[in-house]
Order: sequence, then structure tokens, then C-alpha cells
Amino acid sequence: MPAPVSDSSPSGALVLSSSVDREVVYPIRHEVKPPIARLSISWARGNSFRVSIFKQQCGDNSAGSDDGEVGGQVLEVKIRNGDTEISAAEFRRIAYGSVSPFALLQSRKNMVLGLSKMSMGLSQFNPDGWEYIAEYSKDVSSILGNPKSLPSSAIEDPLEILKKVEEPTCLKAAWELMDVFYADKQSHWWLNERLVDWLAEYDSVLLTRQSTIHSKLFNFQKELDDLQVVEDNPSYWDVISSALAVGWQEIVVKMLRLHGSYQLDQLSNRETENGLVEAVAVLISKMPRMRPELDSGRLGECFKTKPDFTKAWEKWRSQITKLDGSAFWVYCAHVQTREGLRNMLQIILGNVESLSGATCNWMELYISQLLYVRPFTMGLESMYNLAERCMQLKKTSNTDRLMRLMIGILGESTEVVLAECSRGFGPWMVTHAMELLTEESDQVEVLLHEELHDLGGISIEELHRLVYAQVLCSHAFTWQIAPIYLTSCAKQGIGFLETLLYNQPVQHNGMLLKNLEICRLYELDGLSSNIMKIAGVYHWKHGRKAFGVFWLRKARDEVRLNKIALQLFDSVGKSISDESFKQWEGLIELLGSESKNTGGLEFLHKYRDFKKSLHQVHHKGKTTGVVQSAVDSLIALMKNPSTPQRFWLPILNDSLKLIDWHEGPLLNVEQTNLLLNKLQELSMARLRPDFVESDLTPLALSSIRLALAKNLGRAFLEG
Amino acid sequence: MAIVSPQQQPQIHRFPQFKYIDGVRWLPPLSAFGRFAVVALFDSDSDSSSIEIHSLTQNPLDMAPQSAWTSPSRISSLKTSQFYQNPLVFASTYTGSLHVLSVEPMDASLDSELSVPEKILHDRPISCVDVMDSGGECLTVAEDGRVNLVSVGESGLNYRRIFDSNGLVSYTAAKWASPTEFATGGCGFSLQWWDQRKPGGAVCQFKGDWASGIVHCMDIHPSRKHTCLAGGSFGTVFAWDLRWQQQPIILSGLEGSKTSNFSPCESEVWEVRYDPYIKSGNIGGMSSSQILPAMICSEDGIITSIEQGKQPVELLAEPCAINGFDIDHQHPSEVICNLEWESVAILSRP
Repeated sequence: MPAPVSDSSPSGALVLSSSVDREVVYPIRHEVKPPIARLSISWARGNSFRVSIFKQQCGDNSAGSDDGEVGGQVLEVKIRNGDTEISAAEFRRIAYGSVSPFALLQSRKNMVLGLSKMSMGLSQFNPDGWEYIAEYSKDVSSILGNPKSLPSSAIEDPLEILKKVEEPTCLKAAWELMDVFYADKQSHWWLNERLVDWLAEYDSVLLTRQSTIHSKLFNFQKELDDLQVVEDNPSYWDVISSALAVGWQEIVVKMLRLHGSYQLDQLSNRETENGLVEAVAVLISKMPRMRPELDSGRLGECFKTKPDFTKAWEKWRSQITKLDGSAFWVYCAHVQTREGLRNMLQIILGNVESLSGATCNWMELYISQLLYVRPFTMGLESMYNLAERCMQLKKTSNTDRLMRLMIGILGESTEVVLAECSRGFGPWMVTHAMELLTEESDQVEVLLHEELHDLGGISIEELHRLVYAQVLCSHAFTWQIAPIYLTSCAKQGIGFLETLLYNQPVQHNGMLLKNLEICRLYELDGLSSNIMKIAGVYHWKHGRKAFGVFWLRKARDEVRLNKIALQLFDSVGKSISDESFKQWEGLIELLGSESKNTGGLEFLHKYRDFKKSLHQVHHKGKTTGVVQSAVDSLIALMKNPSTPQRFWLPILNDSLKLIDWHEGPLLNVEQTNLLLNKLQELSMARLRPDFVESDLTPLALSSIRLALAKNLGRAFLEG
Repeated sequence: MAIVSPQQQPQIHRFPQFKYIDGVRWLPPLSAFGRFAVVALFDSDSDSSSIEIHSLTQNPLDMAPQSAWTSPSRISSLKTSQFYQNPLVFASTYTGSLHVLSVEPMDASLDSELSVPEKILHDRPISCVDVMDSGGECLTVAEDGRVNLVSVGESGLNYRRIFDSNGLVSYTAAKWASPTEFATGGCGFSLQWWDQRKPGGAVCQFKGDWASGIVHCMDIHPSRKHTCLAGGSFGTVFAWDLRWQQQPIILSGLEGSKTSNFSPCESEVWEVRYDPYIKSGNIGGMSSSQILPAMICSEDGIITSIEQGKQPVELLAEPCAINGFDIDHQHPSEVICNLEWESVAILSRP
């Protein structure tokens, strides 16, 4: 039972144990002096929450009693689970790595499903179905780390019985166990030997109160350098028989060769003893194994068919029995050697008491029985019965999570396997391991995919994926891979995804674009335009007008663009002489010449064109082309409904020269009437309370009126 | 996409950093031996940012941190340059400060630091910094619409505002063309050309009207100062030749896919660089309007070399975004890039 950690500083983390179902007190260290007035708790980024501690507000009477300090302290408290084996950074590495295998398997499944349109397993349709699963399992396994041999000296150390390897993780051990039973169906004919291999690799991560064979070997290795006569030491024989029990034959043979009788000076007077040691060593190295092959350096003779193996096994056993009954034992003077070797023979012959004595926990005992007592493959049911018997022989109060998983698998209970995956190894494991289970049988298929009323109409598979996706979402770096898992959830995945994407910050364009890219990939167009609206308003509020307009335009948000336009016009210079208009050029360029999706902002573009042509009239040409284009832009502006009313008068004032053109009327009757009507509308609007008075003099208004009237007269005459 | 024969495939080495990588650059050589890379990192657990110098060793290729400097905020743009034989690291932050670090040649440690605090150059994150090839002149641009020039002087950093659009135009990329000229890019695929001899605004502007995207990165080749290469949204890479101002040459992107060009990516192009490794015939004999070969990386997770009129060649395809890369000027076959999933990758081309 892991106890709550007493030392939890702001920088440290709370350790929450999932197996605790009673109240637990987690102390938080803070520097606020009592009395404390208020405490507030809120979620912070990721897996952390914020505890704000407020000091009592000091009254008048506290003048002398306190240091006068007010305020409080805010602490960020991180939550992590008790699994210290895998750090948060290492978990992220695993999460990143498992995305590709998972996505590949999903797309293959969908492809097969699309081909068949029937709810039957992958394997029934596709002969390569198992290969897909096996490939997936291998890919995921490789992410969990490969046991790398640490660099050792080129010359083999005769005293090095345990190879130095990087410590494997419990998570990898669990995955490999799942792989043995569910993914690698091709190897089921040599399941026993696979389990032997599995234990050889992961015995060191079995967490029990008692020691393991690995830890015994590890401790003996440390003593070995100081031992003069190894065979006199009882732990030498103890360790050898333990290693033999679980089939680590290379270690056994190597250790036997350390026996003192091999030394040249002793060979002559310990001849019989040495003969016996060597005979056992040779027999062990010739053990028949029901498996396709052995890695180089490993001992045994492989057999691929049951009859061949049975024959070799019987022959080998008879040799052992013969040696056991040999007369030479009497001549072996060294008691420890005699006893030790004969015990080893009993282990090989499958004497349950010897096996039980040589192993430390039921898992090791179980493997030893698979190796020496029941070397032939059997059904899961009898494997389960055997495991139960082993557990009775090696009773422990506390069982390891790997052992619990093993029992679940042997018990053929999918629910238990899932529960153990989830309880022991977390959401990552259960989500990814489920893929191995789905092909198991129709019954499992139904169990995982049935929509359950209790779960709000989602299946167990979807539930676990959603939980895992939530874990990914809780971190700023991994939320981007959550969509892969969410989109594989038929019922609620898209809903969750939308919430996730909505909640992402829009401050930085880089982040925003990554967000929008996910929307694009999953064709969430509506969401994408909403996010752009949020971004647009955010940038606008923070004075980055260009980006505000850019995003709102992309979102086709006419309503907000119109509102923005009204604000913008306030700051746009209203008179032709205003040089500040030049700085608007960039924004106007951004708007482009097309008036689509710009809302009221299209006015800016037209206004700019008008000012440009007017400028040309004033400074450059009196050519009819230039003048005519100025008139055209004037009329276009005044006709356009998006031209704000308060611009009408300044525009007309700016165009006085055009209206009162010295070479004759430029505007025809219809155009002049339009302008006069606008003027009339303005004087009507003056009566409304929200009218904005222009800063032009009343004189300007009358001169516009006069010029228009004059032009109308001249236009009549010309017409 | 052109098929690359196995002999031409680059060797790829990935180095997990267990921290988010905000930027990565090669460091100009410190001495005859030893190669170094500069990595800008963000650690979410401690909410801290740093710049680290990593030394690279060959056979097998490995990188290990050599020295580190803690940054007050996340790095938004990272550049290196060589100034009087001393390598300098220029880094801008999301809070708007600029830091110039010098690297001690003896032990590759980051020793002295000059900085301009936040709110002086820019109000908000600095989008991009660009340093003149052989010097201490650094441009900074941002979404707030300001363009600043920061120079490394005897007594520290001197800075001067070149332009302020008050947010009416936002700049997201910048690149020096000559000691007096430079180019900037922004939203709406717009590019601006500036000449310090003509103050008061951009000399000329290119408005990319065809689609509303953002320019993320630019490059200008020293032998082709009139051509500005830009990359941005929708896998777009285009060249703007000042001599034919309103006709961009589209090398990749949505527009390109309508014509015969195959677009290597569809998402944001985060970095574009001319690629000195590809010897495209006789460069001297090439028409000056021909665009030189370039390399891009994108949000879709690819690094591709693109060449006008040729099929793009994919060098790296990752399941996650590639946020930036740098080509080693001393060894152009070597490319270092930062991957979204907290790791650095080094490509060695044969």
C-alpha cells in the first residue's frame, strides 16, 4: 500500500494512488502565515491545479501585531499517478510513437471492413489479418524500448553470470505478455517456451515482497568476486538450482564451470566429482526444446514437431534418470556438490518439491512446471488450473500487477484483462492493448463494441479511447495527437474533438494554424470558421488590425467586418489633404480588389480609388480620361450602400472642383440628381439623435449646394 | 513525386529531447574540429525555456548538450551568424524581447548576453528575426506592424525603428537582400521590399491576391538579389522577381496543382531555403530568371527539395509536423530539423 508522500512542496508533485479508496490527506507546503482567510482551488494547465491561499485582511488593530504583509500565495500543484517507472516525458515519447501503428491498424481495419461490409473479424476475411495485428504489436513493443546490452569489454568475463542490460520496464513486460497470448498466434505451438523467454527477460520487474531469481542472481554476482571456493558456499547451489528451474541454462552451465574441480591443480584428485559436474552440465546443455530456434549463445536442442520432441524428451529424461541412479555418486566426496547436483537432477525430473524450493514466487514456479512437468502445449483452461495450483503452493498476500494480468489472460476473461490493463498500466495500455483483443472471438467483439446504456450509449472500446484522449488533451504537447483517437470513436469522438479544438488558445498564429490544419484534415469547416472568428476578434482587440481583418475575412464574418468597418472609419482621414491615409494602403491591399467577404470594408477600397483619382486631377492631368475616372469613382462611392453617411459631406466637399468644373459640366442630370438627393437625405438625417455632425463649416455645405445647382443647370443646357 | 533510389536516400538520425523544440540552427564553426548545433527548447513541466549548444560526434552520429542559457520566455525565432570570427546566436521571444548570445570558442559555452527587453522593440511576440550574413545587423518584425533594426555595437545593442504601421499591416517574415535592402512578408501572401536609403515605408509591395494565406518564411540568394522566395499556407512556395513584380512564379501549392506542377504538400510551409547541395547544372550559365533549387519543410511532416520545372524530391516524411530546418553551410549535405514530437532529426545526404 503506497503511503501518501509527506513531502510535497510546490515544485514537487502529489502522488495519487488509484488503489486507495479511503480518505487521504495530502499536505501542501506554503509560506502564508496564519490566520488564513480564504482558500480557492482551480484547474491550471495540464495535470495540475492551482491553490490560492489568501491571508486574513488585517484590520486596524493589527498595526503592531503583524508585519503588515497582505496578500497570499498561489501554488501550482501537479498531479501524477504513483507510477514512477515512466516519467511524464517518457510517457509522451511512447504516446507519440504509438500514433503511427495505431492509425495504420485502424486504416487497415477500415479497409477490410469496407471490403466486406460485414461485422466479422479481420481474420475471417483477410488471411493477413493476424499479420496486421502481429505487426502492430511488434511496432508498439519497439516503442516501449528494446533491451540494449550495455557496452561491455570485448573479452568475456568468466565471472560475469548476469549480462548487464538496461532495466526493462513493467509496461513493456505487460505488452509482451499480451503479445505472446493475443498477437503472435503463429507461435502458439511453442507457447510454453515463449513464456520461459518472457520470464527470462522480465523476471527483474516482478514486484513482490520476496526476492526473485533475478535478484538472487544479482546479489550472488556481487559476492562472487570475493568467494574462494564457490562450491562450499550454499548460495552457489541455491542460485544454480533456481536458474535451472526457470530454464536459464546458459547461466547454469557457466556457473557449473566455475566449480573448483575444474581447476588444473585439483583435477587429478577430484576426478569423479568433476566428471559428475561435467555430465550434468552437458546434459543440461543438450535439453530438448519445443521451439523453432534458439538465439546464438543459448543452449538446447530445438524440435519443431511434437513426435520428434517427445522422442528426444523421453531419451533425454532416461539419460537423466540413468545419471541419477549412477553408482558414481557414492564416490563423490564433496557433500555440497553431491547434494547440489542431485537436487538439480530432481528439478529436471520435475520433482514439485524441488521446483517449489528453487523458485521464489508462483510465477517462477509456474514457468518451471511448464518447462519440466508439462512441456507439451495445453489448452488455456488447464494452464489456468496449473497456475492456480502454483498459487496455492506459493501463497502471497500481495500480488504483482503482471501476475494479476497473467491470471486474467489465463482465465480467458476479457473484462478482467481490460481491468488489469487499466488498473495496473493506465489508459495508454488499455487503449492500445484492446486492439489485440478485438480479434479474439465474436464474443469479445460483442463485449467491446456493444453500445451500453450505462455508458451513455457508447461501447467499452470507445470509453477507453475517450479516456486516453482526455489524458492526451491534458498536456500542451500531446493534445495534437488526441484527434487520431477521438476520430476513431463513432459516437462522441467528434463532439469531444470540437470541444478540444475550441479550447485551444488563438494568441499565436503558429498554434492557430496547427489547430486549423486539424479542422481541415477532419473536414470540420464550421468549427474552423468559428475558430477564425475568435482569432479575428482577438487580434482586432489587441490592435493587430491587419490580422483581425484577415481572419474575419477568411471566416466570411460579414457582421463583424461591418462593425469593424464602422470603428475603422472613425480613424480614417476624411479629407483629401490627410497624409495619414497613406498608412492605410497596406490594409487596403490586404482587402484586395474583390469586394467579396469584406463587409463594409469594401468602402475603404473604393474610397482609396476615389482619393487616388482626385489626387491625379489636382496634381497632374486635366486630360478627360483622368477627370472622367474621378467622376466615376465619385458616383460609385455615392451609389454604394456601404459608404457611411458621415463620409458623404467630406466626399462631396473634396469633389467640389469636379462638380464645378471650369470646362463644362462633368456630371449629367441623373448623376447630379443623385448627389442632390444624398444632400437632401443628410439634412433629413440631421434630425435623428444619432447623427454625427461633420467638422466642415456651414459655408462648405452651401458651396456644395451652389455648385450642384450650377452643375444641374449646365447639364440641362448641355443635354 | 520523384522516386529516390536507395543510394540517394539520406540517412536519418532522430534525437528525442523530451522537451518541445522551438527552433534549431547550425552554429558557424568554432574551430577546425567539432560541430555544434543551437537548439531552443521549452520544458512544459517547469515552464522554462532555454537555448542549448549541442556538440555533435560522428560514428555513430550523436548529439549531447554542451552548455545552456535560460531564456525569460519561449523563443519565437532563432538565427545564428558570424561576427568578427565569433559565432553569435540571435533569439527573439514570445514576450517581445531580443537576446544576442556570444559563444565562447574554447568550450562552446554561451557566455555573454546582450538584450533588448520586452515592449521596446515590439509590443507582442516577435515574429521573425533575420541577421545579415556577416555582421551584427538584425531585423525584427512582428504582427504589431513594426520593423526594427538592431545592431551589435561596441557598447551594446543599438536599435532603431524603421517603420510602424500601427497594426494595419502585420509582418510575419523578414530577410536581408543586401546591406541596405531587405524584404518582409505578411498575411494575404503579401511581400514588401524595403530600401534603407528610401525611408518612410516599403519601396514596393507584392499583393498575392489569389488566396488568403500567410507568408511564414523567406529566402533571398546572394547571387539573385532581385528574387525573393517565400513559403506559406496551403503548401505555397512562390518566387517574386522585382523585375516582373506582379507575376509570381509558383513553385508549389494549390495554384501550382492546377497547372502541371505537383504540389508536395498541402499545409503550412514553415521554412524555405535555397539548397546549396543541389548542383543544378551550371548555375553561372543559368538564366537569372530561373529559380535556384530550394528545400522546404511543412506541417504535413515532410522535407522536400523543389526545383523549378522538376518533380519535387521527398527527403523525409514524418508522422508529425516539421517546424523548421537549417542547412549546414560548411557541409551542405547535412540538414538539421526540429520535429513537433519533441525531437531533433539530422539528415545526412550521400
